[in-house]
Amino acid sequence: MVGLSLGEQNFIKGGIAQDLRTDGRKRLTYRPISVETGVIPQASGSARVKLGATDVIASVKAELGKPNPSHPDKGKVYIYVDCSPTAEPTFEGRGGEELSLELSSALQRCLLGGKSGEGAGIDLSSLSIVKGKVCWDLYIDGLVVSSDGNLLDALGAAIKAALSNTAIPKVQVAANASSDEQPEVDVSDEEFLQFDTTGVPVGRHYIVDATTEEESQMSSAISVSINRQGRICGLTKRGGAGLDPSVILDMISVAKHVSEQLINKLDSEIAAAEARDEEDEMDS
Amino acid sequence: MEYVNPEGLRLDGRRPMEMRQLRGEIGVVSRADGSAVFEMGNTKVIAAVYGPREVQNRSQQLNDQALVRCEYSMANFSTGDRMRRPKGDRRSTEISLVIRQTMEACILTHLMPRSQIDIFVQVLQADGGTRSACINAATLALADAGIPMRDLVTSCGAGYLNGTPLLDLNYVEDSAGGPDVTVGILPKLDKVTLLQMDAKLQMDTFENVMQLAIEGCKAVASYIREILLENTKQLESRRGV
Repeated sequence: MVGLSLGEQNFIKGGIAQDLRTDGRKRLTYRPISVETGVIPQASGSARVKLGATDVIASVKAELGKPNPSHPDKGKVYIYVDCSPTAEPTFEGRGGEELSLELSSALQRCLLGGKSGEGAGIDLSSLSIVKGKVCWDLYIDGLVVSSDGNLLDALGAAIKAALSNTAIPKVQVAANASSDEQPEVDVSDEEFLQFDTTGVPVGRHYIVDATTEEESQMSSAISVSINRQGRICGLTKRGGAGLDPSVILDMISVAKHVSEQLINKLDSEIAAAEARDEEDEMDS
Repeated sequence: MEYVNPEGLRLDGRRPMEMRQLRGEIGVVSRADGSAVFEMGNTKVIAAVYGPREVQNRSQQLNDQALVRCEYSMANFSTGDRMRRPKGDRRSTEISLVIRQTMEACILTHLMPRSQIDIFVQVLQADGGTRSACINAATLALADAGIPMRDLVTSCGAGYLNGTPLLDLNYVEDSAGGPDVTVGILPKLDKVTLLQMDAKLQMDTFENVMQLAIEGCKAVASYIREILLENTKQLESRRGV
């Protein structure tokens, strides 16, 4: 990425201080989000989310597997993010690996909760088929196609949209302990709803949904994952500078406030995308 | 297994000489200097070009021409079974090399010495013919980036199953074990820049199959030209010309 000159840096910081960012947004305004579902036909569910110039694709594949012995009544979910070199030339070869791992673990923390599966965004027990023997394994793959800041939110939105687009076949278990699949029945798996918002302090103000230039100026960032009930499901602090604890609490409340609007916006976008999808299916 | 039924229709309902549906779009990755999406049937590929820019690794700098680099990667969800590692495996390395050599032959590298042009290709959906789709997408992306080229490079594959030459094989037909000929040409100059084949084929049959693939390439070329013309018209109208 081309470095920013001193003048440009001051311009960005000054703008934020006056609640007017370089693209005209206010500090707490999100860029327009566009959602498209069903983009990967061979996956169980998929979605593509564009947040300004940031473009990510998420796909969900469901496979039958054996549950973890310590949690026999829960399914398994694996989240893996890949940063494509099309987004940034530095992601070539193994360059994007570090960022991919950071994004994957942040998303895992938010969606899957702690070690015991407590407080998970996704209800893992809904993925169980036969306790202790068979369960669904969900492989959630994210791909960053184009990056202009705020990858975590875009990926979170894409995963949420992909999950609501996921149709997992209903499984009927035959009496002799092996399972038969009946893929005619599509059960749409509406999972627990989640969202990530990032409160990024630049100077002494917080902004939400930073572009790449703004991100380069930030001293630190907090990503908060909040569910529909307004509870915090995950928290990640990124960046080097230390933050005063009161500042962190402040940022969390800002995130809560912004995420309410975001969840509503996202739900309406997803519903619109699915409606478009069904229309296309009926036309063809 | 029957790949061409008695009525002459293939598994997906196409005729033997029929290509899959093409769809291309320019400018999908705004941060890249040039980018494009190209679809051939169910195979969908995104290409992004960054350059010409300063060489990142001084030791690789060439004093009289531009350095062209290419990386091919497949998304985890692109194939039917989920792939474990999207890049770095031998097939990806080989295809990266093939694309690089093909594009390098047509870019006027001597006009941009001591610089670097990066071509990144990402496969979103793989259903046979990914090599060809990647080359076509890369051509569009290079054109979008305004990088001077001798000619467009277009590519298409063809095969031979059940005694019939088939144009543009999909994944099922490709896995049948018959020969698969991939051809890349410079359409205006009428020159072949890429020719690959696996499995074996009689010499005269090979000529037919290759000719069929070249016809396919020319069809792709006229489609790509249309897209570029359309794009230029839009740019013109935005400029108020």
